[in-house]
This record gives sequence, structure tokens and C-alpha cells, in this order.
Amino acid sequence: MTSTLLLLPGDEVPSSLLPKGNHKPLVLGPGLRHAPPSSVRATVSGTLTVDARKNALWIETNRGRYIPHVNDLVIATVLRSSSDFYHCTITPHAAQANLPQLAFESATRKTRPQLAPGALVYARISSASRDMDPELSCVSASSGKADGLGPLKGGMLFDVSLGFCRRLLLSESKVPLPAEQGGGAVTILEALAEKIGFEVAVGRNGKLWVDGGDVKMTLAVGKALQQTDQERLTLDQQKKLAAKTLRELGS
Amino acid sequence: MPREAELSLNEREFLLQALRENVRLDGRPFDTFRNVELKFGEEYGVADVQLGKTRIVVRVSCDVTAPYPDRKFDGIFNITTEFSPMASPAFEVGRPNESEVILSRILEKAIRRSSALDTESLCIIAGQKCFAVRADIHVLDHDGGLVDAACIALIAALQHFRRPDVTVEGENVTVYSLREREPVPLAMLHHPLCVTFSYFHSGEVVLVDATLAEEQVRESEVIVTMNRHGEICQIAKYGGSPIDAVSLLTCTSSALGKVQALWKYIQEKLDEDAKKRDAGGLMAELSAENAR
Repeated sequence: MTSTLLLLPGDEVPSSLLPKGNHKPLVLGPGLRHAPPSSVRATVSGTLTVDARKNALWIETNRGRYIPHVNDLVIATVLRSSSDFYHCTITPHAAQANLPQLAFESATRKTRPQLAPGALVYARISSASRDMDPELSCVSASSGKADGLGPLKGGMLFDVSLGFCRRLLLSESKVPLPAEQGGGAVTILEALAEKIGFEVAVGRNGKLWVDGGDVKMTLAVGKALQQTDQERLTLDQQKKLAAKTLRELGS
Repeated sequence: MPREAELSLNEREFLLQALRENVRLDGRPFDTFRNVELKFGEEYGVADVQLGKTRIVVRVSCDVTAPYPDRKFDGIFNITTEFSPMASPAFEVGRPNESEVILSRILEKAIRRSSALDTESLCIIAGQKCFAVRADIHVLDHDGGLVDAACIALIAALQHFRRPDVTVEGENVTVYSLREREPVPLAMLHHPLCVTFSYFHSGEVVLVDATLAEEQVRESEVIVTMNRHGEICQIAKYGGSPIDAVSLLTCTSSALGKVQALWKYIQEKLDEDAKKRDAGGLMAELSAENAR
């Protein structure tokens, strides 16, 4: 169950909206902070989203720069390599992230991947804190498998908004807001994938990697996704756009 | 010192491969400009140009000073550029980077040294009083094509600017405020505009008005400055790979078409603005050019 309310930084969350009748502890998500003794205030502007079942509330916003959080999937660019690490950027002109050279699937000193400066990697953030450079990993800590992470070869990178990346990574049932408020489910990928084959990697840092095999296909998919983001297309509009894109590709 | 974020290898390869297949990332043909949008401010001499995502604001202002002792019959005309950190994290205030130096040098050559503005007309009393016209160029958003956009903005702002009217009686100079007398337009001798050509794949692909990503990948660029009569004011090429002499000729002929189209657009916008200011149709009577 969700309800919506626009909050500005410093606004107090009305106590009537706080979830009740649940014995779980109250969870404050991004954009909210507890102001003792009993009020909750917003620290960013956005729409308040309440999940009564999980006893959680957070602010949904589609702006700002990316701040690394543990377990986020990001697309990072390798800047240079040193003896033990690849030094990568998640966002340009922000702190560099370190990717250990052995943090790849079945990597040893001899079999580790050689990444040139400028190469793209799809990685998970393994540690992030305010006072330290974030650390990346391309391997699952529990299974030792890559799970789709690793160097990205070919394809093209597209810039999209942070909110859109979030929506792309969420499953349809979990999308918190209707499309008019900048949220909403994204079906364009599924609609396109019915007819054509392509690979996509979504980074939470506002990057979208698409590889459709050739220039035309990659560009068409990337542009369609960018348009969906910028014009805040609803589900019907997304389906129309997908049909148009497919028509132009001639398939 | 911060640098412009570099493109990843994947993006570079894709961009070059796309150009080889005659595709630009934004879907434009090779020889077209992005959408140009020109707006004028409330005051005279403020022009706001948007070229795609690139945005430049130029403000022209003037005051009365003494001329340089070695140039007694000339007024003073200065162009200053400022790259705001708002446009790109790579820009720092007070520390010009390479592109800022190139931009100011190009504009200096294109507008000042080609004497687009008749500085002699700015003289009030030889050796004693003259107008000092100053053009401030502010880069507010950077997505490539700074030279082209800045040139459009500067020419439009100069053409839009009005200096206060003056009368000279012997040694006495009276400068009339905007309320007292209708201000006078600057004497522009011609209107040079810049067109930048970017070369890829050892000169096989030539692009007009490259975006920032394309600028980062290009092998060399040639900046052609030309007025609408086809008179070339400068051809600038700062480093990069060598280019063919014949391709330079095609550049200049294609630049002519671009310059004429751009000037037509600027003229249209100027006329539109003049019509808006001319409330009641009294402008012709108020003008200093009117024989009273």
C-alpha cells in the first residue's frame, strides 16, 4: 500500500502518515531523518512513500548526484591500474573507487582480466562509507560466481536519470509511484525484447549500457530508453514508442 | 586541476563505428547544426544562445574613457570570456584552461581583428574621449561547439546593443541617458560567424557542429570564420592530424551556406525583437538617425 505527499527539506512527516499497527521497528529510508523525540523530517525534496507492510518510509526523488551504497550495481570506468587494484570512476569528478584485481570470477594472479584505461566494468559496491573511497567487486561474495558482473565489451553507454535506473531495476509490483509523479513501471525493455535481441546493464549511477550487436540496434534501444526517461512516458506511451522503434528497425 | 571527464573506450569505439556507418549519435546528418535558439534580454546588448545543450550568454556594455595614446582616433573594444564552473566541473574560475584560451583567441581574431565593429565610430573627441565597448561572454552549459555558439551570441549581442547618444559642442561632451534620447546602434562593418569542422577517420568523415563527445574523439578541427558575403576572416587549425587542401575548399564552401542561414536566423530574431520594442511605432521618430 502506498500513499503520496510532496515534501521539501525540513518538512515534518505528518504523524498520521506514519505506519501503525505493526510490531516491526520503523525503518527510515533515504531522504528522511529522525528528529528526537518523535518527529520525522525530510532532508531532500520529493514524494513521501510509505510501505505499511514493512513498516518503512522513504522519499522518492529523481535528481541529484549518485552517492555510493553497499550492494548497488554500478557501471564504472577504469582509470588506471596499480599493482593490486583497478582505480575506477563511478561518477566523474567524484572520489575514485577501487576494484581489487582479484575480485573477478575465478581470478588468480595469472588469470585476472587485463583492463585498459577507459574500459567499462559492471560491478557491485562492496563497501561504501562517507569517509573512505568506495570499493567495488565483480564477484558474489557468497558463491564466488560473477552473476553477470564483469568487464563490458562493445556496446554503448547512455546517460539516464538516477530515478529511471532505480525503476528499471525494480520489479513491476514494487514500483512505488504512478508515472505522472516520475515513478511508474517500465515495460519498454520487455516490449522491445519481444522482437529483437539485445543486452542491457543498468548501473545505479545513472549509466545504461546497451549492446544490440550493431550500431543501429544499439542506438535505437538506447534512444528509446532515454526518451522514456526524459519524457516520463506512461505504460501505453512506452508500448507505442517500442512499436515505433521496432518499425523503424524494420523487424 | 580538474579535467573534462574522458569517454570510455566503449563509447569511443561505438562513436567512431557509428560515424563509419554514416550515423551520428543524435541522429543529425553530418553537415547540420543543432537547434539554435537565440533570445534577447530586457536590456540592449544581452543575447542568450542555446546550441543544443550548449548555452552562452553575452552581455555588451559601454562607458566613456580616454582612448589609448597611440590610437587617438579609435574607441576601445574588448572581449572577455568566462567559463562558469556551472557549465562543467572541468572549468575553474580564474584559471583559464586550453579551450577558454582558444575561444578567446579565436573570437579576438574573428571579430576584433577582422574589424567587424568599426572602432573609429566609437571616438568622441580624438585623443580625449571615446567609448569603451566591452563584451562579456559567459558559458553556462557546455556540450561542445563553444566557438560557434559564442560567435553567434557575440554578433547578435553587438548588433542588438545600443550605445548612448552623444553631442559634442567644442570641448563639451554631453552623453544622453537612455531616457533622454534614443540610443544609437553600433556601426558594424560586417558580421563574421564561425563554423567548426571536425575530422574523423583520417579526414574521411567531416562533421559540422560536433557535440562534446564528438569533440573528445575527433582527430582535428578546422574553424572557418566567414561573413555572409563569403569573405573568409580566418581559418584556424590548432594541431591535430593533417588535412587535405581540397577538403579545406569544401569546408569553406559549405561554411558559406551555414553562415548565411545563421545570419538570416539572427536577423529574423533581431527584427522580431525590434518590433516588440517598437510599441506604438514611434521608434523611427525617436531615433537619432531621424533628421529632426
